[in-house]
Amino acid sequence: MNEDLKKTLLNPIFKGNPITVLVLGICSSLAVTVQLKGACVMALSVIIVTGLSSLVVSLLRNTIPNRVRIIVQLVVVAMMVILVDQVLKAYAYAIDKQLSVYIGLIITNCIVMGRIEAFALGNKPIPSLLDGLANGAGYGMILIIVAFFRELLGSGTLFGFRVLPESYVPNNLVILPPMALILLGCIVWVQRSIQKDLQEK
Amino acid sequence: MNTNSNVYTIVYTTIIVVIAAAILAIAAMALKPKQDANIKAETISQMLTAAGFSSKDDLAKLGNDQILKMYSDNVKTAFLIDAKGDKIGELETAVNDIELQDNLKVENKKIAEGDPNLPVYVFQKDGAEINVIPVYGAGLWGPIWGYIAFNADCTEIVGAYFDHESETPGLGAKIKDEAWFREQFKGETVNFSKPDDSFDIIKGGAPKDDKSAVDAITGATMTCNGLDAALDTWFKAYMPFLKKKAGAAGIDNDACCGGDCCDQGQCDHEHEHNHQEG
Repeated sequence: MNEDLKKTLLNPIFKGNPITVLVLGICSSLAVTVQLKGACVMALSVIIVTGLSSLVVSLLRNTIPNRVRIIVQLVVVAMMVILVDQVLKAYAYAIDKQLSVYIGLIITNCIVMGRIEAFALGNKPIPSLLDGLANGAGYGMILIIVAFFRELLGSGTLFGFRVLPESYVPNNLVILPPMALILLGCIVWVQRSIQKDLQEK
Repeated sequence: MNTNSNVYTIVYTTIIVVIAAAILAIAAMALKPKQDANIKAETISQMLTAAGFSSKDDLAKLGNDQILKMYSDNVKTAFLIDAKGDKIGELETAVNDIELQDNLKVENKKIAEGDPNLPVYVFQKDGAEINVIPVYGAGLWGPIWGYIAFNADCTEIVGAYFDHESETPGLGAKIKDEAWFREQFKGETVNFSKPDDSFDIIKGGAPKDDKSAVDAITGATMTCNGLDAALDTWFKAYMPFLKKKAGAAGIDNDACCGGDCCDQGQCDHEHEHNHQEG
């Protein structure tokens, strides 16, 4: 694997993470991180949507009329999201019910459109696919970290299995969205203290 | 080629949209049977949970076919009743005649209009009949619904299950997630003497001697109020039927003021009487 591809693949996971560095996709990361299972399925869905949308748009990039490019991108993204939603409804009904509207809202997730505009429109299909997948993975990773703490502290369970003893009183604040934002802030803090060049003076 | 000309733009967008629509239509058609089967199995597993045949978690581990088999093994009969509680038609106990959530929404409207066709599912469990009826109403963010299982003469609730479309996780969603909330309904009764308010979900805890009330969930006031209203509405719609069942069994005959008159508000005197009794 050459250096460029490696950078495309690894950069969004940590150094240029869409949530903690670019601060995109915050809304859904607050909403679907109450339970780990939901967060994992959401992460997987976003990875698929960002990857495939970037791939398709990159394949079309030389033919898309510049004036309507956002609309064309939206059509592609919306199609991918609806496909994912339909497949989940057919094969993972219980989880689809739990994620409810948030699957549909991947369409409005800034990461998808952001990566298409910033990367897929100007790069070849394979790097675009990797960029999309990697950004989805960067998003998913943060989602799963936040969901881990929220499910553990908010319900005392992980993947629905009880981990903390029954005597643990679940912290209801952790279940509410504000605590997700605070946890997200903590992750940003940790990342910036490791990665000094992200710190603003 | 000039990709910025008007003709190119229009032709290009048209082609893209048509292709996307075709792909989605094909996917929707291909997946529809599977999705419908899921919805049906989900509905049935909610009924089975309410009736106490299994728990929702256990049913979730079973395949759709096994859930359908459990239903057809245990269901005895299913029928529709009208606003007076009279049987107006049989439902096939075959699995394809299940009233799904969409139907409940329609019936909910018809209850308000006074002309509902309400389903009753009768299961056979340990030699006794269990009557399962649906309830449907509005939660905080979207519809909530559920199934209430009664004993053979409809004088006692033996189980309940609730579900929702989009209640807040960790708060309103607890009507579905928290087993203790559902467990409370066991042993409760529908208060025949108060047709408009026959069941209560009480914030701060239900009095122990009130057999038609359960505790509400902390932090889920709006959802619980919605559920309370849904129970009142549907119990009222089913009340003639429930009373007939209770009357036929010779239980609570005094408490029942004789069929339809209650609904027409002609028996205020008897209401008073019942209150003194209770």
